[in-house]
Amino acid sequence: MTARRHPRASGDDTAEWTIAVQQSLRRHLPFWVSLLAGIALWEIAGRATSAAFMVPFSETLVRLCQLVITGEFVREFLDSATLFLTGFVIALVVGVPLGVLLARVRVLRVGIEPYIMTLYATPMVALIPFILSLMGFGFAPKVLVVFLFAVFPVLYNTVEGARSIKPELIEVARSFRSNEWALWREVLLPYTLPYIMTGVRQAIGRALVGMVAAEFFLSSTGLGQLIMGASQNFDTGGVFASILVIGLIGVGLMRIGLMIEQHFARWRQ
Amino acid sequence: MTESTIGTSLALATPTQSSPVSARLWGTVLPRLLCGLVILLAWEFIVRAFAPAYVAKPTSVVMAIPRVIVDPAFLTATRQTLAAVAEGLAIALVAGTVIGLAMGRSVGVERAVRHYVNGFYAMPMIIVLPLFSLWFGYSGAARIATVIFAAIFSIIINVADGARSVPREFLEVARSFRSSRLRVLREIVLPSSMPYLLAGFRLAAGRALIGAVVAEFFLSVGGLGYFILYNSRSYHHNEAFVGVLLLAGFGVGFELLVNWCTRRFMPWYRRDEKTS
Repeated sequence: MTARRHPRASGDDTAEWTIAVQQSLRRHLPFWVSLLAGIALWEIAGRATSAAFMVPFSETLVRLCQLVITGEFVREFLDSATLFLTGFVIALVVGVPLGVLLARVRVLRVGIEPYIMTLYATPMVALIPFILSLMGFGFAPKVLVVFLFAVFPVLYNTVEGARSIKPELIEVARSFRSNEWALWREVLLPYTLPYIMTGVRQAIGRALVGMVAAEFFLSSTGLGQLIMGASQNFDTGGVFASILVIGLIGVGLMRIGLMIEQHFARWRQ
Repeated sequence: MTESTIGTSLALATPTQSSPVSARLWGTVLPRLLCGLVILLAWEFIVRAFAPAYVAKPTSVVMAIPRVIVDPAFLTATRQTLAAVAEGLAIALVAGTVIGLAMGRSVGVERAVRHYVNGFYAMPMIIVLPLFSLWFGYSGAARIATVIFAAIFSIIINVADGARSVPREFLEVARSFRSSRLRVLREIVLPSSMPYLLAGFRLAAGRALIGAVVAEFFLSVGGLGYFILYNSRSYHHNEAFVGVLLLAGFGVGFELLVNWCTRRFMPWYRRDEKTS
């Protein structure tokens, strides 16, 4: 732990610097300690059990370096990233305008809402066998899977935001003779944007699951293929290396999602 | 329900509205039915016009329902999946609550495991399947492990949130009456984090269902997921789709059940402000 030391002179430059270091130490030390403890635990567990069961952290890193050096890893990563981005962007392009349209047309919203909620709660993985037998093994069916995983959180949250829009806002805009386009741009979209961003954060996580599921159960490509292949060859090191990387990607994407959400949450009361 | 009291209060609030019941019918029920009808018709029409004969369409799915729900294979599959989900959820609930309470009430535990819990939660849960198939073999044990992995982290995170936000006064009163730590945990912390627990459970149930279905796809162990996979591979799409409908029903059913429990047993708690 860090020893608490009081600076003697308040104007002293070095003392201020020491305080800054101490504060950042106090903030980040627990994280590094727990990280190191986890790695140590992993290393010990890996060494204590058989290699088919678990691989120590050091060997996982070695295996990861091998995969990176052979270029296999970068190729599969780019493959997965293309799939993820394509599906995710289509989900946004479809989900957001549809959601705001539902905000505008009340009858449509009331009519369609229960179906969106039902689909939001449905495990989309169950549709993968149908997609497989209808569309086969191309790139398009996989994009469809990612899209289906990602679109409903966006839609659901947009509708939720649209439902909470204050009628006064629209009435005021109307009484100032705002036309439909201006109404969308200046009232509807800004108001629902924080909700949309909540949907985006959820959609990021789901799209990642969809990506891996598509790579597992449709044609094997990308990071999913990397991990499947490793598992089938009993290459436990490869399995752990891929899980580590996909896990880190998941954590990173979740961070980004949270940052986006918080950035736009500023004007949500 | 108390339709009449709602009706009068609505009528008082908006005197211009002539009959609230018919307004509700025209404003809500009718658009929903119409939209549902349009969706089903579009589906039926598109499949009839463009797709091969084996592709599921509403009319043939409806006709397949009576056949499928008496099929012993389907019933066994449903029972297997539900049993696995229930078992996994029960284990995740107990273990997750214990870990969550420890995290919420002890700074040391929180610091030690917080990053791991968040990290595992952010991981797409299905990537552990190849690993679990190495560890547990292609068996039901691997499915239960997947269900637990899918469900436990959302419970831990929510219970920890709940345990952290226990009102300070409650704890101070308990302490001044010299109650033991265990009693404080059991009689104050646990009940007051109950709404969070339910919110976590709602998320966990959905994830557990997905976990079970994916595990059945991957491991080829018997269950609803495998039933869907098997039937769609042998071009029995209508039969397979009945399985999907049942899964959707479970998903929605869990959601409604937990919402109902929250409203019934914790009416002071507004869920829409606290989830996610």
